[in-house]
Amino acid sequence: MRARVGVSRVAEAAGGAAALAFLAAACLLVLVPLAFMAGASFMPALDIMKMPYRWIPETWKPANYLRALAGNDGNWMYLRNILNSLVVSSSIAVSTVFLSSLVGYGLAKFRFKGNQVVFLLIMATMMIPFETVMIPLYMIIVKLGLQDSYAGLIVPFLMNAFGVFLMRQYLITFPGEILDAARIDGCSEPRIFREIVFRNAGPAAATLAVLSFRQQWDNLLWPLLVAQREEMKTIPAYIVKFAAEKHADEGAMMAVAVIASLPVFALFFGLSKYFLGGSAVYSAGKE
Amino acid sequence: MKRILTAILVIALSLPVLAQAPAVPELKGKSVELTIWTHEDPARTALEKRLIAEFSAANPGVKVNYVTYPSSKIKDIVVAGFSANQGPDIFNLEIFDEYQFIVNGRVAPVDLKAAGYKSARDLQGKYLPGMLDPVTEGGKVYGLPLELTNWCIYLNKKIFRDAGLDPDKDWPKTWEDVVAVSEKIVKRDGQIITRRGFDFRYGYYLTSVLPMVEQLGGELISKDGKKAILGDAAWIKVLTYFRDFGPNGKNLGSPTYTDARRIFDNDKNEIAMSLSGLYQEARMRGANPAFFNSSDWMVIPFPQWKDAVKKVPNNYYGHYYMVNAQKPKLSQQASWALVSYMLSHGAEYLEKVAIVQPTKALMESATFKNMPYSDVFAKDMAAGHIVYYGASSSKIEALLKEAFTSVMLSGVEPAKALEKLRKDVTAALADE
Amino acid sequence: MKPAVTSGVLERNRSRWGWAFTAPGLVFFSIFSFYPILNAIWTSFFNKRLLSLRPPKFVGFQNYARVLGSEDFWNSVRATAAFTAGVFVPLFTLSLLLAVFIASRKRFRRLFQMALYSPAVLSSVVAALIWLLLLDPRGLANQFVNLVARTPGVDRRWLSDGTMVQVSTMMVYVWKYVGYFTILFITGIGKIPESVYEAAVIDGAGPVQRFFRITMPLLRPTTVLVSVMILIQCLKTFSTQYLFTQAGAPVGPVNVITLNIYNTAMRDLNLGRASVMSTLLFLFMLGLTWVQLRFSRRDEVEL
Repeated sequence: MRARVGVSRVAEAAGGAAALAFLAAACLLVLVPLAFMAGASFMPALDIMKMPYRWIPETWKPANYLRALAGNDGNWMYLRNILNSLVVSSSIAVSTVFLSSLVGYGLAKFRFKGNQVVFLLIMATMMIPFETVMIPLYMIIVKLGLQDSYAGLIVPFLMNAFGVFLMRQYLITFPGEILDAARIDGCSEPRIFREIVFRNAGPAAATLAVLSFRQQWDNLLWPLLVAQREEMKTIPAYIVKFAAEKHADEGAMMAVAVIASLPVFALFFGLSKYFLGGSAVYSAGKE
Repeated sequence: MKRILTAILVIALSLPVLAQAPAVPELKGKSVELTIWTHEDPARTALEKRLIAEFSAANPGVKVNYVTYPSSKIKDIVVAGFSANQGPDIFNLEIFDEYQFIVNGRVAPVDLKAAGYKSARDLQGKYLPGMLDPVTEGGKVYGLPLELTNWCIYLNKKIFRDAGLDPDKDWPKTWEDVVAVSEKIVKRDGQIITRRGFDFRYGYYLTSVLPMVEQLGGELISKDGKKAILGDAAWIKVLTYFRDFGPNGKNLGSPTYTDARRIFDNDKNEIAMSLSGLYQEARMRGANPAFFNSSDWMVIPFPQWKDAVKKVPNNYYGHYYMVNAQKPKLSQQASWALVSYMLSHGAEYLEKVAIVQPTKALMESATFKNMPYSDVFAKDMAAGHIVYYGASSSKIEALLKEAFTSVMLSGVEPAKALEKLRKDVTAALADE
Repeated sequence: MKPAVTSGVLERNRSRWGWAFTAPGLVFFSIFSFYPILNAIWTSFFNKRLLSLRPPKFVGFQNYARVLGSEDFWNSVRATAAFTAGVFVPLFTLSLLLAVFIASRKRFRRLFQMALYSPAVLSSVVAALIWLLLLDPRGLANQFVNLVARTPGVDRRWLSDGTMVQVSTMMVYVWKYVGYFTILFITGIGKIPESVYEAAVIDGAGPVQRFFRITMPLLRPTTVLVSVMILIQCLKTFSTQYLFTQAGAPVGPVNVITLNIYNTAMRDLNLGRASVMSTLLFLFMLGLTWVQLRFSRRDEVEL
């Protein structure tokens, strides 16, 4: 008996080591382009396009960062554009989490006629390529008079089908007994949602917040269409500025991108502790 | 605050020039707000913002929103804007994207009086012959050229010498020469090319590859516009040339190597010849001044086939400023007055932005003549014609690309690719 | 009899609250999703050209006949199917494995998550440029493969060969989304009560058994979520193909349906025909979701 346990311990440890090696290798591979960006942000543009590629800059050019922040015309518009991106992406992240939980909860925990149809319809909207609905969407925004405003950038993305799907799937296994108990105690439905369901949706909400924040952070086409004044533009448009063929400055562009990635990193790091609900599931009871 | 200061500074700096901006009588006492959509180009933005400030100072009722978009996205934006009837007052695109706006009646003809021309003849007379043809429809002119560009070959003399060639004697005059010198220049590591002789501008077949077909007497579309792909022998010869040039043939290059024009300025022994416009000189001067100021590079004309039946240099393409036909009359007048004022500074566009406006005055100017090798570009341009434009030109460009890449990369027989191309182009024309 | 009446009232009450909770979603999606979709379906029956000021002509099913009869459309169906098949299996397996591995670690969990999620942090414009440099014949991709396979000087033709360019799009896609789906799996795993695992360990279940007996069954809502999401994301893949073809890769092999829709609308300005393809894609998706729901309903819905 004792021997068997010993063997399984050894096997488990070996498996653990293999898993760790796999994990580390995957992470390293995935990180290659990021390392590329970091290195390139300190290089003169000509060195970036050079083959074979050097990872450590031959000539260091930290001035890329100054150029990135000050801009081609030296008006420091990037700071304003970062602010815009922060306003737009955080508003969307917050509203997506809230509205998606609301709708996802309604679909997951209430049996009503049409529940399945509503869910099906919402799901199907995920399938529409943005490029094909861009023009009708733009017309709606024009009719609402929201061009060139934060509202125009935010409103079409207040929530999305993916968020509803994610929250529904997360809440579907939420124990019904707890909800019933609350109802018997005389809790109103909105209060049940606010104090029981939403409170317990932490990991899914954190995930959704990160994903929708980053999706807007990188959205290029829609802000270009809606925001026309320089003061209303967001980061991706600013990045593209440095890639224009006749004056391409890839070094400054990389520096812009490094700066642009910092808030996403920060948000991710801040919220990632919620993904697993703070528990190490697998290691539990191992020893 | 900063903006106001900048504005004051700009106005202060431009004071001596202010007198030159004409006060347009129609605009007197009226207020108009204009919007311009144009592609990203920092040097031009700075210049045009200054010119606009001058114009607004002379015509105090005119307020202008100048909006720039990345060149890869501006077409989608303009199309979406116009489709929603929210187009700008003034915009520019590449000519083959602009043609659709003319045929669909979305743009207004040049208002001669507002633009300061005495007559249509006067307007035509300011430009080199034929330069307004692409925007002329039913006798009316619908745009004014912001830039016209043709490509010649930039040549790195050091690499030629290194390969045992004398650049001044051995520079390629024919397409056969291009292959011959490339074979001497190319260096490889196994199959991978580490030094290329020549690189095509893949993705610009109408501009840069169609002339090769035309040199041999082939045609894309017949004069009456009914038939597509004429002169099979010429087409087959060019398709075969690409196959032999590519990785399945002599392996001298392929579309997926980094574009030559992005690395030519480096002068790092990677590419000997690159197709580009006069604007490349400005980029080179900025990116690698030592190389720019050296005598290690030169520009040669677009090659011709040994047995060419006619001389056809690289086609030129252009951007024209156009004015939205849905805007009120007053806005249109103000728009044309502004466009005309901006474009009257051709020498500055050339000096600061390195783009060429095909006016007679500019071609005769010292600024143009003093640019290295500008004569090579001018000569090619005079002998050439504008790139094909029509209701389906973007689609045809894509079909050409499909045909050439299928032969060059996927091993499709030239004759078979040509048949498919003919079928697809004919269908595209029928759809018009 | 009385309890039945009460439960009927309760039922009606619950149903009303169900509608109340979903109402904001319905209003929002009606304006910003259903309306554009209906608009596309309507347009698919008209000879509508972008930029044209003339009122579009009703053409019945003519657009459908043209699209369904064109080689180009069926090539796009093939390209999309090939891409979806080629991405689904590796992406699903990899993200599930990585999620399980990360969840089983005690330390550096956030670091691993962060690393895997890093592609999402990169601006897509910059990522595009970097990938083109990596896949350049002289780039890192060739160097790495030739080093590992000990085949110096071979050009794998990542972007120029018809088959390889498809593999390259799949590779970039897996790179881009593996962190995304790993996080979704991690969120799902995090919901599994630890007590279940503790009980399993006491019963002597090894990690492999724990995975198949506990993780997989309890993770079911998440696996449904992830598989549907991967499927949808693959069917509407656009940017990688767009980017590669802009950079000189042959179009045919990777002309996925969304790329075709985009080109038909924005390049050829033929909104009628583009709408046909959008409509077909939408209907296909609707069917797929419906099937998915039928299959997952029995063990999912526990109200």
